[in-house]
Parts: sequence; C-alpha cells; structure tokens
Amino acid sequence: MNDTELDPVIHAPARLRIVVTLATLREGDNLSFTRLQELIGLTPGNLITHLRKLEDAGYITTHKNGRGVTARTSVELTHSGRAALENYTTVLRQLLDSAQSPS
Amino acid sequence: MQEAGERARHEFRRSHRASFVTWGVLLLLGYGSTWLLVRGQHPFHGINPGAFAAVTLLAAGSALANVAQARSESGVGGLSALRQRIRWLSLIAGLAGMFALEGALAHAGASRTVLGVFEAATPILVAGLFYLTSSALWVDWPVSGLGLWLIAVAAGGAYAGPVGIWAVGALAGGLAFLVMAGVEPWLRRA
Repeated sequence: MNDTELDPVIHAPARLRIVVTLATLREGDNLSFTRLQELIGLTPGNLITHLRKLEDAGYITTHKNGRGVTARTSVELTHSGRAALENYTTVLRQLLDSAQSPS
Repeated sequence: MQEAGERARHEFRRSHRASFVTWGVLLLLGYGSTWLLVRGQHPFHGINPGAFAAVTLLAAGSALANVAQARSESGVGGLSALRQRIRWLSLIAGLAGMFALEGALAHAGASRTVLGVFEAATPILVAGLFYLTSSALWVDWPVSGLGLWLIAVAAGGAYAGPVGIWAVGALAGGLAFLVMAGVEPWLRRA
C-alpha cells in the first residue's frame, strides 16, 4: 500500500468505527472491551475478529487485567494506529476533492 | 466516520456542569442557612454542628458530582483514570488536613472566633485547590479561573469575620459555581 491508497485494514466500516472511536480518547488512555462493544454495536465475536485484524496490523494493543469474572480487557490505539487514521483521512479527502474538481 | 467520531466525543465529553450545580446549590443553602443561624450571635460562640453539617454536605455534593462524572467516563482507563484518582486524592487529603488543622488550632487554644473563621473558610479553600488541581490535570482554563476565585473568596471572606464569611461563601462561592454551570457549554464551544 502506498500513501495514495486507502488503507484496507481501516477501510472496513466496522474497523473504521473502532479506530475513530479509540482516536477520540486522549493519548495514553484505553477503553474497556465492553464499553467499546456498547459504542460500536457489534457482537463480542465480531468485535474480537476486527480487533485481532487491527492488532495484527499494529494499530491497537489489547491488555487483559485480572482473572476470572473480574477480568477486564482494554483496548488502546497505538501511535501507528493514530497515524494510519490520519493518513486514511488525508487520502480520502484527496480522493473526494479530485472527484469533485472539474477535469 | 464523522458520526462515529461525534458519538464517541459526546460519550466521553468531560462536563463539570453537574458538579458546579451541586456545589453551587450546596454552598448557597448550606452556607446561607448557617449564616441565618449565627448572624444574631453577640459575642460569637460558635456553630460547630452547623459547620460540620456544611462540610459534610459539601463533601457529599462533591462525591455525588464525581460519581456522575465517573459514570460518563466508565470504561476509560489509562492516564485519564490515573488523573481522576489524583484529583480525588487532592480532595480527600485537603478535607482530612482541614479537620486535623482545626483540631490542632483548638488544641493550641484558638478562640471560638478564630475557629469559626477557619471552619467556614477552609472548605471553600479546599474546593478552590481541588478545582485548581483539576484544571492543571486537564489544562482547563475556565476551571482554573474558578479555582482561583474560590481561593480568593476563602481568603478575602475570612476578613468578614466568623459570621460574615458564611454570607460571603454562600453568595460569592455559590453564585460563582452556578454562573460557571450556566456558561460552561458556551465556554466549551468558544
């Protein structure tokens, strides 16, 4: 992928919503899995699948604290995840501008 | 994309409005009613139960407001959660220090007049320092202004004496909170 193509990892609507939601948090903050699920409106299974793809790309990190019923999984956007979202937004804007401008 | 961002921003928005209204009403009612109780005292002979009730009401108000705020932030961990704990610690340490200091003043033989001024001024001073700490943690200038104003009310109000300070606290402190609650949405937009 180069800088003029839309990042396929973020381009999927559900993953885009996840990344945008996490990007609204301050740097150094994380969000619990349950709250993220509530905000995005996906089933736990679906959310796990999308989070795994984002984690494989290095865009998010997940941490599990505690054990058993008190276990809490938190999700955090990485620097490269934030940068990828910025790049995605820029490319999308350029594509929209070029589509709107008269040839 | 925009919708998801706006929804998340709305969910995570940090608003002090509930906290401002709670503190404002508590100061107006708590300090106002204490002033009504003590204004006829010549010489001043103290308002221990009233002062205690006022402090308890203030602390309870703060707790309620913080719980409401924490609810809006549920699920958010990391640096923000740590900052929230530091904020709480500043309030608890301030109130604990205030009670300890009052005990030390009484032990050292301070008069009822001195204790009366202390009992009324320090809760406002602690609230001012609490909001100043909050503003430093979140880089929030309007809250910083409120914190400074409350410190000025506590320090300046002390010169009104053990009776007058209750009226100063109710009006200058309580109304400041209510004004802040009213202008906060506008300040956030500006």
